[in-house]
Amino acid sequence: MWAALRSRSSSSPFSSLHPWKQGIAVPPGLNLTAFSSSSITTNKAFLSLQEIQTVLNDVRADDVKVLSVPNTHADWADYVVLATGRSTWHVKNIAQALIYKAKQKQKGVDRKVLPSVEGQEEGKWIVIDSGKIIVHALDEKAREYYNLESLWTTETSQKDPNPELEKAFVKIRPKNNSKKPVRKVA
Amino acid sequence: MIQPQTHLNVADNSGARQLMCIRIIGASNRRYAHIGDVIVAVIKEAIPNTPLKKSEVIRAVIVRTCKELKRDNGMILRYDDNAAVVIDQEGNPKGTRIFGAIARELRQLNFTKIVSLAPEVL
Repeated sequence: MWAALRSRSSSSPFSSLHPWKQGIAVPPGLNLTAFSSSSITTNKAFLSLQEIQTVLNDVRADDVKVLSVPNTHADWADYVVLATGRSTWHVKNIAQALIYKAKQKQKGVDRKVLPSVEGQEEGKWIVIDSGKIIVHALDEKAREYYNLESLWTTETSQKDPNPELEKAFVKIRPKNNSKKPVRKVA
Repeated sequence: MIQPQTHLNVADNSGARQLMCIRIIGASNRRYAHIGDVIVAVIKEAIPNTPLKKSEVIRAVIVRTCKELKRDNGMILRYDDNAAVVIDQEGNPKGTRIFGAIARELRQLNFTKIVSLAPEVL
């Protein structure tokens, strides 16, 4: 109660101050531009799904798949993009192209935020982690071996019940063949 | 708190079942390893008919520890077992699937591959 009162009392002079501040000290137009530029920098830091797809088209990545992430992982990523390269060089080039695009997008920004890249030296499986979208570039063998799309797609379908499975786990009580008289439990 | 001679469970389908830590990678005189550290380990127990055999020396990333992990927001995370995921020299996991919950810190430590294979991220 006291805290609420105090906050109200403290906020009321501030709110009365605010129009004055907006009217004289800071013109409303300037304030707006400052706000919009800050929102642009946060958007600029990461590549959008559209941009990733154009880059993957340009470098001719095979078999591009975009999967939305199931709920268990939802807090750390929105989309997973899978792409196949024909060789380790090709996979490395896919990663390079995405990093280059991210750099180009942030031209003129003081602090560039680059996506974190994993496995770049080797080129079998490179993960480009740009915020909410994670791009996996794999070569053909690795794609087959890890089979990521089945992992991401079956996780959602696992929840609906399988009729055969339900039948299989029905417990059958063994017959009582012992000659001992069954003691009745009260 | 993983140190040499600690036995760890394996949290993937690589074929190993139990590991023993023999060295912690990262510093010359390090005493304990925590979640996200790479260790050198020996396979103490393996599933038959898999590429990994007993007494093979491999690298592994620790993914679960009994010792609690503190986050900056005050959250404390601890598991019932010590578990690791077998990786190769380049950091690719040997197995194709990972079992059990995994801490989010692994993503910051550049083990996104392991995080993306995991069924649950805490």
